[in-house]
Amino acid sequence: MKIVLSLLLIGLFILVSCKNSGDDSKQTVKEWRFQKEIKFDDIAPTGLQTDGEHLWISDAKNNRVIKSDLSGNVLNIYAGIKRPMHLSVYNSKVYVPEYLTDKIKIINGDEIEEFPLKEKPDAPAGVFVNDSLIAIADFYNHRIILQRGNNVLFIGKEGHKKGELYYPTDVSIANNKIYVADAYNNRVQVFDINGNSLKVIGDKDKINVATGIEVTGNNIFVTDFEGSRILIYKLNGELLQIITVHLNKPTDISVYKNVMYVTNFNGSSISIFKKL
Amino acid sequence: MKNIIKIFVVLLLFGVSTSLAQTNEIKVRVDGLSCPFCAYGLEKKLNELEGVENININLEEGLVTLQVKDSVKISEEDIETKIEDAGFTPGEIVYSKKDEQPGKND
Repeated sequence: MKIVLSLLLIGLFILVSCKNSGDDSKQTVKEWRFQKEIKFDDIAPTGLQTDGEHLWISDAKNNRVIKSDLSGNVLNIYAGIKRPMHLSVYNSKVYVPEYLTDKIKIINGDEIEEFPLKEKPDAPAGVFVNDSLIAIADFYNHRIILQRGNNVLFIGKEGHKKGELYYPTDVSIANNKIYVADAYNNRVQVFDINGNSLKVIGDKDKINVATGIEVTGNNIFVTDFEGSRILIYKLNGELLQIITVHLNKPTDISVYKNVMYVTNFNGSSISIFKKL
Repeated sequence: MKNIIKIFVVLLLFGVSTSLAQTNEIKVRVDGLSCPFCAYGLEKKLNELEGVENININLEEGLVTLQVKDSVKISEEDIETKIEDAGFTPGEIVYSKKDEQPGKND
């Protein structure tokens, strides 16, 4: 009898071990490792982009954009930008959504210009620019504004179903698809370039406010603000890794080659992770 | 002599009253203000109220403080509408007067 019980216990132990290792395998690809944290003096970073040489940081608390080198040495400060959010760097210009004024500002050298919008957003939280279009996360209108020349396309409407958005805060375009940080639906949504809903990502991963998104050739990176996590997915939505260390209310991510930079809104800092 | 003292006192009081400008201060409790997009969104909506000169949002305490021109009255209903527009449920609203030295905010 004792032998039978022992065998049963051993079997149970093996079963539990296998189950646990199965759960871990969902995120066993620990490709990204923490490297260091860059501290800044009294900032509350909301947006971040790197061009491989500089960091461009939206300091919403102090109404300014900071340009630093990759070690965090401040090179220039662009003041008077009212609550700057998720910015975009394209062709040496920095596009900054000005949350309080509903404008998109362009930092061009030492000049600050204004982008001519065809449709006015209500609290632009994020912007993405490439050679043919500009996409804006229109926070209070629960939609993405896509402007191509004189043509404007609205993507999404207020709601919780597939294809609907609830306070979107960031947008990225890659592989001819539009990726949206659907913040208060706690997920990522993917649309085609014509605005058709393609996929929902992360809705099972207990994201608690998906504030920032970055998409590379292979991966989708999402900030979980309240959970203080980074979730990394394959483009098909498969979860690869969850990072929980050295993060303090992250709002945005920027990836350049094998280096990932993350803003810590509550930490007045940028955390740097490297791909192994 | 009494008249001279009276005039002196009147002038003194006048001088004090003109050197201290009064502003209305309104404190509003709002829950769930941790996310910057929400907090600054609330600031954006409250800024639309006429007469608001300054807004301070304390994320940790969930407390919003409005400085309002003395000549302007903002109703509780107007404040509540803006808070709801920003996606929040308004809590307690407290009005008070605050003396300000000229140039204090310079």
